[in-house]
Amino acid sequence: MGDDYPTLFRSEQMSLMQFLIPTEVAHDTVAELGELGNVEFKDLNPAVNPFQRSFVGEIRRTEEMARRVRFFESQIQKEKDVVPIRPLYNSAPLVTVGPSAAHNIDELDVTLAEHETRLVQMNDSYKTLSERTRELVEARHVLRETAVFFEKAETQQTDIRTSFDDSSAPLLQHDDREQQYLSTVQFDLEFVAGTIDRTRISTFERVLWRVLRGNLYMNHTDITEPFVDPATGTETRKNVFIIFAHGDALLAKIRKVAESMGATLYPIDANADKRSDSLREVTARLEDLETVLYNTGVNRRSELLRIGENLAKWQDVVRKEKAIYETMNLFNYDVRRKTLVAEGWVPTRDLTMIHMALRHATEESGTSIVPILQELRTNKTPPTFTRTNKFTEGFQTIMDAYGIATYQEVNPGLFAIVTFPFLFAVMFGDIGHGLIIFFAALYMIFKEKKWAKQELDEILGQFFYGRYIILLMGMFSVYTGLMYNDIFSKSLHIWHSGWDFPESDGVSYAVSNGHMYPFGVDPAWHGADNGLVFTNSYKMKMSIVLGVIHMTFALCLQLPNHIRFKRPLDIYANFIPQMIFLQSIFGYLVVCILYKWSIDWSTRDTEPPSLLNMLIAMILSPGKVDAASQLYTGQGFIQVVLLLLAAVCVPWMLCMKPYFQWKEMQMIQGQGYVGLGHRNGGPRESADEVLEIEEEGNGRVIVEEMEEEHEQHDFSEVVIHQIIHTIEFCLGCISHTASYLRLWALSLAHAQLSEVLWSMTIEKFLGMSGIFGTIALVMVVVFWFSATVFILCIMEGLSAFLHALRLHWVEANSKHYQGEGYLFTPLSFAKLDEKE
Amino acid sequence: MASIIPVIFILAMIIGLMACGYLFVPKGPHQTTIRTAIMLTLASCYLMWMVTYMAQLHPLITPYRSSSKGESI
Repeated sequence: MGDDYPTLFRSEQMSLMQFLIPTEVAHDTVAELGELGNVEFKDLNPAVNPFQRSFVGEIRRTEEMARRVRFFESQIQKEKDVVPIRPLYNSAPLVTVGPSAAHNIDELDVTLAEHETRLVQMNDSYKTLSERTRELVEARHVLRETAVFFEKAETQQTDIRTSFDDSSAPLLQHDDREQQYLSTVQFDLEFVAGTIDRTRISTFERVLWRVLRGNLYMNHTDITEPFVDPATGTETRKNVFIIFAHGDALLAKIRKVAESMGATLYPIDANADKRSDSLREVTARLEDLETVLYNTGVNRRSELLRIGENLAKWQDVVRKEKAIYETMNLFNYDVRRKTLVAEGWVPTRDLTMIHMALRHATEESGTSIVPILQELRTNKTPPTFTRTNKFTEGFQTIMDAYGIATYQEVNPGLFAIVTFPFLFAVMFGDIGHGLIIFFAALYMIFKEKKWAKQELDEILGQFFYGRYIILLMGMFSVYTGLMYNDIFSKSLHIWHSGWDFPESDGVSYAVSNGHMYPFGVDPAWHGADNGLVFTNSYKMKMSIVLGVIHMTFALCLQLPNHIRFKRPLDIYANFIPQMIFLQSIFGYLVVCILYKWSIDWSTRDTEPPSLLNMLIAMILSPGKVDAASQLYTGQGFIQVVLLLLAAVCVPWMLCMKPYFQWKEMQMIQGQGYVGLGHRNGGPRESADEVLEIEEEGNGRVIVEEMEEEHEQHDFSEVVIHQIIHTIEFCLGCISHTASYLRLWALSLAHAQLSEVLWSMTIEKFLGMSGIFGTIALVMVVVFWFSATVFILCIMEGLSAFLHALRLHWVEANSKHYQGEGYLFTPLSFAKLDEKE
Repeated sequence: MASIIPVIFILAMIIGLMACGYLFVPKGPHQTTIRTAIMLTLASCYLMWMVTYMAQLHPLITPYRSSSKGESI
């Protein structure tokens, strides 16, 4: 195309290019193209199983590396003390193209494997060491507590005799006697000592009691500090117990019961000296273990820190390599010429950039064979690519959400830049609220660079993505607020009002003083009892006027499409009757609204007619216009003419296009072509195949996808399609025009909410005086402001956003938009980042 | 004072501004966007002003208040 610059009006022109890439340069070429982000590669091996593709081995290796990198990331995240990860823009890049690339990747593979084994080893040893530490700590507790028991037993000896006669605790006496017996025998009684979970101790006691029929003496104490499981972090509390019993059988039973209840038994010596030896030994071992544990921890942390330095770089490299090999899997390997053949869509404007990139890649890799680029002719539909910048991106996205534009049709996103915020503002009109959202958007734009790098959470991220939309919404809202004369439910009194209110005790009727409030709604209406009557009528009529004009504008966007795609039939068969239909009824309504407003009814002798009744009467009883309530002379005749025009448009829309298409089909059939494509193309194809083998690099598309749907020009389908189209348009005209009344409804709701908030909060507290009054006023102002931001700005804002969007998607787009395209998704390393 | 002339006068002014916007935006990658934005903004703002002005030219009802309240702000 001859245009110098890309425009948002249509999607870019795309070309299908065939790349012939020598195998040695393939990796570097794809890397370079990925950095550019301008080529969407087609899959040339659609029938091949992913496991049978040529580069499966490399992908497997990259996956292994990716897994290791993910493992490192999870280990770093689990650390309580944050391990800093050096951000990508701060890291030294790892060279992945050029002659040293393969060596670098191998080195990376080895490094990652080493780090992983080291880390896994350290993790394992840390775990085993912690377990052993725990056991030793338990053993130490057991030793200490049992020492206490034995001491207590010794001291209790002397007290026992005195309480001998007490019969309330017979078993205890029995035990004490046993102990007394023991003390003389130097504690020859066998015992079992160990630890058990605190929750289980009572069950343990009961079970033992039943099993041994009371032939035991058990004592237990709590271990004060809990044991923390290093893997899960759960705390368990344990008790130390010691059980004295007599006889091997009993001891065996005790041991079995203890094991079944999950207790850990420790060998304790009866001799006090031996016990203190063991205690010393345990303490020494514990100290050693703690040192080792500490060192392991330190080593692990330093390892993680080292990993953290490079982690972002590795993630980036691994991601890119995977993308490169996946893309290379899409290529076709030409065995004869030892090159890879690739096909991809490229924006025509960027072809020189691609050429330069290819040349750069070959230079980097050190070979002298430049990949060859060829344009292919095809009748496949190219993808739709609209070049956006950070400002237009948001608007394009919200219009794309309805449907991607067909290749090179008029892009509604361009116009949405202004019409969307404007229609939003009509529903939101308030100077104060508009300023609030304007400043919020301005703040986000100031923080743009910083926030773009961060990971914003979902909701804030959405608002940040649409910051320019919100900015424009705020600006237009200030304008419409000026028009509605509404700032936080008060009105401004900038110019001379057109009404004067005379002093009166009862009802005070305003008197016109000749002035005309030049810019916006007269502030006299604010606070008037019939203010709503006026504003409702004004806003409703405004909604209809704006709606019909918006729909007319959208309808006119059909013209560039018909001209571009060379469909003159559509102009005469679709566009013109649709326009006449819309204008003859609703355009006429708009003209009547404006005309009625422009007449000074006090100088006329006819009554001002109700426009709604007039429109209904026009359709139901055409030609009959009551002279006393006519808008203008000759109205009856003109209305009949308009109605007839509209009536003629319906069969025009229904019949003209099918008729002409039918004539065209007859003509084609008459010239002897049966079916499409195959038979005619047959002989030609085989001749070309012979030539292909001899020619070098001809422009044939490698994969002739037979998926091309040849449209069946079945006449019945054409007729049905046209009927649906006609009905949809005609009914749509009426329903869509009424739908625009939401502009009135939402602005009314907004104004009323705002007024209610003011009168229920601040107004009630304005009269209060004194310290209490001031404090209460301040608190109420805070409440009023937060309610304004959350309810009126955010909630109402979202609501108005949604309705404005609906107006664009349904009412406007249905007049011209086809939306059958598919989005251009180039191989782009920058976008890979966003995807994660 | 309340006449239809300002509507026509301002319409002429807005059309003039739209023409300026169309002619004087420099060529560049954003020419279409800026042109469309300027022209649509002028058109829509004028429309809204025109409707508001005409609705109050010859009003069919007069405002009235039942108690004498002070004027706003």
